[in-house]
Amino acid sequence: MRIVQVLRGISIAMLLGSAMSAAHAKHYELIVGGIGGEAEYEQRFREQANQLAKAVQHASGDAQVTLLVGEKATRAAIRATLNEWSALSNDDQVVITLIGHGTFDGEEYRFNVPGQDVTANDLREWLQPLQSKQLIVLATSASGGALAKLQSEKRIVITATKSGGERNATRFAEHWVQALSASEADRDKNEWVTAQEAFDFAVRKVADAYKSSASLATEHARLEGKRAEAMALGRLGSLKEMPNDAELNQLFAERLRIENDFEAVKSRKSAMEVDAYYSELEKTLIALAKTQKRIDSRQATLSKGVGR
Amino acid sequence: MNMSNVVKLSIAVMTLLVAASPVRALVIDYDLARIAELKVCDDHLYRGRTEAATECYTDVFTEARNNMIRGQAAMGLRDLNAANALYRAALQRDPQSVLTRVAWAKLFVQTHQYDEALKLYREALNSDGSNVYAKLGMAQVYAERFEGAARKLVAEALQTNNQFIEAHLLLARMDVEEGRLEEAEKGLDRAQELADKQKLPPLEIYALRAALDVIRGDDVANDGAKWVKRALDYNPHYGSIFETQAHMLVMRRRYQEAADLLRRAVQVEPTLSSAHAELGANLLRLGLVEEGQKHLATAYEGDPYSITTVNTLRLLDRFNEFENISIAPQAAEVRALEMRLHRKEASALRPYVEQLAQESMATFAKRYRFEPKKAITVEMYPNHDDFAVRVGGLPGVGLLGVTFGYLVAMDSPSGRATGEFHWGSTLWHEMAHVFTLEATDHRVPRWLSEGISVFEEWRTGPTPGVIVTPDVIAALNDGKFLKIEDLDSGFIRPTYQNQVQVSYTQAGLTCLFIEERYGFDKLVALLMQFKRDVPVSTALKASLNVSAADFDKGFDEYVKKRYAKVLSKTDEWQQLYDAALQAAEKEDWPAVIEPAKKTLAMYTEHVAQGSPFLLLAKAYEKLNQPEQALQTLLDYRRAGGWDPDALRMLGKALQTAKRDREAIEVLAAAHYADPLNAEAHLQLGDAFLAAKRPREAVREYQVLLALDTHDKATAHLGLARALQNLGDKSASHRNVLQALEAAPHFKPAQEMLLEKTVDKPE
Repeated sequence: MRIVQVLRGISIAMLLGSAMSAAHAKHYELIVGGIGGEAEYEQRFREQANQLAKAVQHASGDAQVTLLVGEKATRAAIRATLNEWSALSNDDQVVITLIGHGTFDGEEYRFNVPGQDVTANDLREWLQPLQSKQLIVLATSASGGALAKLQSEKRIVITATKSGGERNATRFAEHWVQALSASEADRDKNEWVTAQEAFDFAVRKVADAYKSSASLATEHARLEGKRAEAMALGRLGSLKEMPNDAELNQLFAERLRIENDFEAVKSRKSAMEVDAYYSELEKTLIALAKTQKRIDSRQATLSKGVGR
Repeated sequence: MNMSNVVKLSIAVMTLLVAASPVRALVIDYDLARIAELKVCDDHLYRGRTEAATECYTDVFTEARNNMIRGQAAMGLRDLNAANALYRAALQRDPQSVLTRVAWAKLFVQTHQYDEALKLYREALNSDGSNVYAKLGMAQVYAERFEGAARKLVAEALQTNNQFIEAHLLLARMDVEEGRLEEAEKGLDRAQELADKQKLPPLEIYALRAALDVIRGDDVANDGAKWVKRALDYNPHYGSIFETQAHMLVMRRRYQEAADLLRRAVQVEPTLSSAHAELGANLLRLGLVEEGQKHLATAYEGDPYSITTVNTLRLLDRFNEFENISIAPQAAEVRALEMRLHRKEASALRPYVEQLAQESMATFAKRYRFEPKKAITVEMYPNHDDFAVRVGGLPGVGLLGVTFGYLVAMDSPSGRATGEFHWGSTLWHEMAHVFTLEATDHRVPRWLSEGISVFEEWRTGPTPGVIVTPDVIAALNDGKFLKIEDLDSGFIRPTYQNQVQVSYTQAGLTCLFIEERYGFDKLVALLMQFKRDVPVSTALKASLNVSAADFDKGFDEYVKKRYAKVLSKTDEWQQLYDAALQAAEKEDWPAVIEPAKKTLAMYTEHVAQGSPFLLLAKAYEKLNQPEQALQTLLDYRRAGGWDPDALRMLGKALQTAKRDREAIEVLAAAHYADPLNAEAHLQLGDAFLAAKRPREAVREYQVLLALDTHDKATAHLGLARALQNLGDKSASHRNVLQALEAAPHFKPAQEMLLEKTVDKPE
């Protein structure tokens, strides 16, 4: 279950607001809009990069976003940003999103930027020193060609195409941006959008778009890496404004316990009669709902207190 | 049917029904210059003395030194590979040979490689521009493919020499196909004279005469018995005597009678692969899949060259990917219905297909006073090529739907791009065919069946509104509308590019004219005239008391009056339309408004892609004039516009204007153009729920789940609420749990759960 893994992976403290999380874990984003070759693509990549930056800022207020578009989106600038991140701790999280044209010559993936292109080897080399958790999103054509080189234990890699052979301009970026702000993407309604949820949402939307135009899908996104369901990318709703509070921490701990019970029932589903399963599940869900109500109530109280 | 797509029908309707005539066991060679040794063998063959023919051709094949003659002997032996090699060798020896090219082309025709055959005929004509055999061969290919160029070539051949029996037979064949029965008879008389004089086999003449009798209804009870007897006396194994009749009946959509004849064809000539193939195809049209499959397999054994047979057999092997859903008749309002929907989308499509099919049956049963005698089967194919193979054996045809009596096959909405295809109208159109075909035992002329289907799309279908595209107006302006007695030819063998589309619309307008001038009952009366085989003129006189000439005159006046504002100024209309379109492309929105409004003042029936309504609505929206945009979209819908994006824009505008009831109606209508859009189902489900229409809301949420939506929790919650409103507490409760099972922190679902279980312990 996703929320449990989020809690285990990021720690409750991280859920409890920017003050504590700022002390222990930080969220860094590098968003690059590559060169388009044609005015239409140029504009599209720039807009998508800008929209993504806004969506990230909105969904994750404490994220430090570096946006590189147009002439600024150079190999040197990308390298410099990643170099700066080499000092980050392993609690920190970095997300690198490249939007634009990519190519693959059978051996090397290249992301097209002004001047010298950025290759998959470059990215692997530059990311190697980073201790933090990493997500790299290559929302470009032929990006599947970089998949093998970028895979790592500490890294989740998302590519818009399954291989370097899918060379047409992709639609993935548009829907990836959408995923960070759409409540629809938050499949489990825990008010967090995880990398896995955003990926699934974008994949679905890309498929729908091709289906709607009755055209043959020329991109098939891939996700490689562990615990994508535990990597939170954006917060929605009330979780955005969570103060630090002992009572609230206790309630979240209680919620975590109930979630474990809920998961345990779910894991037994295939072995149970349907009615018995839902009956068992209902007990955990009622407990969860009541705890959530208390959390909401406490948050409201704290919120009023802050206001006074 | 979506009129903007009718153009795609092109010539496909007829080619697919006749399935590109597979290899014929008996091909008569009328070449008077054919060498005597081969003619002796031919005579054995034509008389059905197969063993003697084989022996004779073998002798020629063995003894002849000329590759061309050996090739012809190999053809007689049905050794097509040998014939192919010999013709190739003959041509290498004499690269300029016209005769070899013509002979080789015939081989390609027999193996369905029409493009190769045409290439050889063209090469032959390049060497000898007046070669009659090449022209006739080419004409035969065009005739097989129902292309209008066939007649011109035959006419040229006859001008050179009117003694060619092949030319007269080909013309007669086309005449019978197109319903020019008088002309066909004259042609056959002439062919008979030539056959007698030139001592040629009369078998094809007998076959066409038998077909003529059957079509006229003179000899339908005993299958053109007079000519059948003569043919079988001449050659007891001449299966084509039945196959030709069947071919003509298939063209008239009389599949059951055709199947009966084809069974007799394979009885007298068990090796007649073409008849097995056609019988197999017909049985599939009649829903007899297992038997059809057997005949197709037999056809394949004898004729492995037929792509149509191979494709159809392959499709049949995949029929298990489809779900068969049967609706048993209940009370008066639920009629028997079978649906064959692909498993991946059956749950999502079923509610809409079932509802629309039932509505159409109720509507047409009442309007045409005919009750279906058995269940109607509706098949929907998500892969267009599968659909094309299902109905004609060949992928790539541009059809949307086909009706074979009680069987309707059509593209599934997922088979085409959104906005390209209104599946609801297509289903409505095809269901109307079921009624017009079955009410007349399949004798209704094509124009009337198509006309009523188009008319019913306009009058009672999911997108009511007369739709006439600018190219039809142009055809009317150019005097290209056909006289009522010739209208079928516009469907069967079109002579210009969009004639099929024009003919559909003309047929629809004809029915509209009858309704307005004579009353709807008279349209029904006209249809019922065709319960027996009668000429169109007789039917018009009996039902409307008008001669065909007077009918044409009245119709001409009617359409010219209806389109008077645009007919006199088509150039002006085009200029205005182009100005609006170009301004929209440049996003110069103020410049769109005046020309778009002026085009609409001239005529409002262009609601297909690029409609002036849509240009105008977009301009108003961009210029922040929501009320005008709303009104324009309402006018567009009223005129028959159905683009799903435009309808959803209208639905949203109506919701903004607090016109919720209308908004729901519009949003629901969009599903009949684009039913697999998850977001739209959620939107409509919520709207139904808010409007206290829980039953319809349930349907929307269920479809949403069937579409395997990313956000299952929201769908389950909507379903829970709707079911609660319907009083189904248990199902509602289960759906709340399912919502939370997918998303345990989903607060609205948590609240609903706590409301339901306030007394339950933690």
